[in-house]
Amino acid sequence: MTLSKKEISILIEIVFSIVFASIFLPYFYDNQDNNLILIDDIIGKIIEILIFIVIYFSVAYSLLEFVFNKKETKDERDDMINSKSYKLGYLLYEFSLFIFIGYVCSKFQNKELLNLTGNQELYNGFNLTDVGIIFLILVLLAFISIVKSLYQFYLYRTV
Amino acid sequence: MILKNNLKEVRQKKGFTQEELGKSVDVSRQTVISIERYRYKPSLELAMKIAKKLNIKIEKLFYFG
Repeated sequence: MTLSKKEISILIEIVFSIVFASIFLPYFYDNQDNNLILIDDIIGKIIEILIFIVIYFSVAYSLLEFVFNKKETKDERDDMINSKSYKLGYLLYEFSLFIFIGYVCSKFQNKELLNLTGNQELYNGFNLTDVGIIFLILVLLAFISIVKSLYQFYLYRTV
Repeated sequence: MILKNNLKEVRQKKGFTQEELGKSVDVSRQTVISIERYRYKPSLELAMKIAKKLNIKIEKLFYFG
């Protein structure tokens, strides 16, 4: 199976999403119940993520340019494939935003119900911290990005 | 009804490679391959450009089959 430059650049995006999820999501997952996490820690993590993104894409695209030194034309087929895949990504993004808002609302409502029924132990365990929210958003973004890129790759192979 | 074409035959008859034809109408080789395999329906503008380049009437190149 020979892959074109465009297909390889999509694979680079997919690998990025998977690597990003496996390196950075555990930190947010482990600390999602931690209310005492310092803002400096989060800023430090965001800087770490930004440095990782810059290094990853610089190295990956430099290698890609080195291997495929021929410039590829961007034409109407690419536009059609991109519009289809970004449309799917946008729909997924909208859908997951509704799920996310529903989840946050239900979490607060459940917490209130536990408070009213006097279940203090469960009430204390029902926290949605800032890190928890960041974790959920990152999971959604990584998931949507992977699905969008996989669909884009599928279209490049079949259209 | 599927939009079909004689692109492959006409292109070969006129002595163009997929790469050359694509370059002359500003599309990639992959796009020419997709059109020849009926996977991708080109826009009217691209279909006219290809027909002009191959010096053939557009209705002779693209047809419903």
